[in-house]
Amino acid sequence: MRAAFQIALKDLRLRIRDRSAVIIGVIAPLVLAFIFNLVFGGAFTPSEGLDISYGIVDEDRGDITVAFSEGFAQSGQFEVSGYNNRADAEQAIEDGTIDAFFHFEPGFTQEVLAGGSPQIAVVGDVDSPTSTQIAASIAEGFSISLRTSTLALTTAAALSGSPITPDFIASVSDPTAALGSFSIADLSADTKQLDPTTYFAAGMAAFFLFFTVQYGVLGLLEEERDGTMARLLAAPISRSAVVSGKAILSFLLGLIATTILIVSTALLMGAEWGHPLGVALLAIAGVLSAVGIMGFVAALAKSPEGAGNLGAIIAVILGMLGGVFFPIGQGDDFLSNLTFITPHAWFMRGLAQLSGDASWTEALPAVGAIMLFAVVTGGAAWTMLSRRMRT
Amino acid sequence: MTDILTVNGLVKSFDDFVAVNGVSFSIDEGETFGLLGPNGAGKTTSISMISGLLESDGGEVHVAGDRVATSSTKAKAHIGLVPQDLAIYPDLTASENLSFFGRLYGMTGDDLSKRVDQVLEVVGLSERRDDLSKEFSGGMKRRLNIGVGLLHKPRLLILDEPTVGVDPQSRNAILESVEQLSGEGMAVLYTTHYMEEAERLCDRVAIIDEGQIQAEGTRRELVSMVGEKDKVTIAGGGALSSSIPAIEGLAGVTGVSATEQQLDVLAEDASSILPQLLAAVTDAGGSISGVEVFEPNLEAVFLHLTGKALRD
Repeated sequence: MRAAFQIALKDLRLRIRDRSAVIIGVIAPLVLAFIFNLVFGGAFTPSEGLDISYGIVDEDRGDITVAFSEGFAQSGQFEVSGYNNRADAEQAIEDGTIDAFFHFEPGFTQEVLAGGSPQIAVVGDVDSPTSTQIAASIAEGFSISLRTSTLALTTAAALSGSPITPDFIASVSDPTAALGSFSIADLSADTKQLDPTTYFAAGMAAFFLFFTVQYGVLGLLEEERDGTMARLLAAPISRSAVVSGKAILSFLLGLIATTILIVSTALLMGAEWGHPLGVALLAIAGVLSAVGIMGFVAALAKSPEGAGNLGAIIAVILGMLGGVFFPIGQGDDFLSNLTFITPHAWFMRGLAQLSGDASWTEALPAVGAIMLFAVVTGGAAWTMLSRRMRT
Repeated sequence: MTDILTVNGLVKSFDDFVAVNGVSFSIDEGETFGLLGPNGAGKTTSISMISGLLESDGGEVHVAGDRVATSSTKAKAHIGLVPQDLAIYPDLTASENLSFFGRLYGMTGDDLSKRVDQVLEVVGLSERRDDLSKEFSGGMKRRLNIGVGLLHKPRLLILDEPTVGVDPQSRNAILESVEQLSGEGMAVLYTTHYMEEAERLCDRVAIIDEGQIQAEGTRRELVSMVGEKDKVTIAGGGALSSSIPAIEGLAGVTGVSATEQQLDVLAEDASSILPQLLAAVTDAGGSISGVEVFEPNLEAVFLHLTGKALRD
């Protein structure tokens, strides 16, 4: 073990002198997390409600449109203002008071009850495309809800001969059903969400971790290429000490870089990582899985350059699939499940579980899943690299 | 004398190609042994097995009594390897390179730092100890490469073609270092395809070709083994030919021929009979204006044994 640490320390000195590991491991993720947070951070604030203002122009004033307005206002997710006519609402958009408005024309309720499909007009601010898109989704969801409910209503009325009551109308015009179909928070209601700052900090940390740990395991191939492997193997040390030395370096580089990122994003950007013990366990498990996966890549490759290229491809695919740049597969079961074949997704999920005042134990399922990646890929890498050293 | 290295029947194949086939030899303490052969003869494969880098398919290697295998740390501690390709870290200084490898051999503290200083002195890099080795010239890198092999005071130093691609000045410095080391009692195994290096450095030489030792012995033994003789040419005048009977009577002389101004003598060992030879000429009334001694070299031996030149 002493020899393995000597090799790791020698490589650590080389990597620090080389500076590329510092750039890839700390500076690049920190800068990107900062930029992503600046650019995209306002696009979603999942757990704290959306900072969007809507207007409603109800020229119908029927049971359905009144129920929509009241239910929408009571949902608490948006600021809602009423307007008497479309011109006033358009002026409000012009003034920046609201982002978009819904317009119910006269006769809307009557047309619905008659089995028709009247349109809900949505008008939005060109400078607030996201808010307008959300409004359009709400309108569409509400329309679908109305259509299915009125179909049931007319069918029931026809079968029973009962009159259509106001209570029934109120039930079919509940806008919360439509709201539920778009809300970002509701799409992943079974898990907690990270705030954008922590999300991007964690995403970049996980993404660049795979590049950082490469500096360790790729060292094996560099020693072969540069001729120094012969001298290491001729020394009175076990061959496994050489592989261990590289793995230790990978682990150290990954852990140091991740720790610096966690601390610096917390101090500089206000990222809220959660319970320190839970975060530490996730970080250690994440680094081990990165070492395992990149070690496996190194075992497959024939040259440092080949391993670097293959490693970069795998790091990008796993990163994107794991949702380090943006959430993947929300609302899509297949994609959503697919993300969990990556340690990145488990890392992000584990951190989300730690958000708020959660106990460190909340991270344990994610830690376990990440460790599974580490054990499987690390074990394969160890076997293959050890075999390679013997020949 | 004690055998430091014994190699017995080494065999190594790569698929159908037999790279080393029954190589055996031994090296005594303080002896420099040359493995002379052309590129691809099996020198580096043999050295890889001797130094424990490569597992052999057959045969045994012992260094200072310990059997060498890829997993044998005890035997490896006796060996200092200087690989053919540079095996140093360009982004470490000369002293950092030496210290790192010293630690792998279990050296620590003052012992290590003193030894690093000594080795830097031996290889002439004391002044550049704190410079990154990537800033060194090719010759300096080669010397540092050798220094790493010496650091732990090995009982056997293996140098695999250490002068390939080195300028003449550095080459000479390397050869002087090797001479000094063997003088200090270290056993040296030196592989080369430069005949002059083998002749200058090696007490004994094994000629290897196509994975097999073709012949082994001192230069003189090898030369006599193939029937080659030394030739002494004496230029002069007077009664050169009158000295022929006396010269033919000298031990080791196998042939004499004379012209008016030149006498050619074939002998087993010219240098040992040269004083008597010159005395015989002057005693017979001849005058001497010049003497040249031609000793058959290992190139001729190699050509005789293998039918090809060393640099083929």
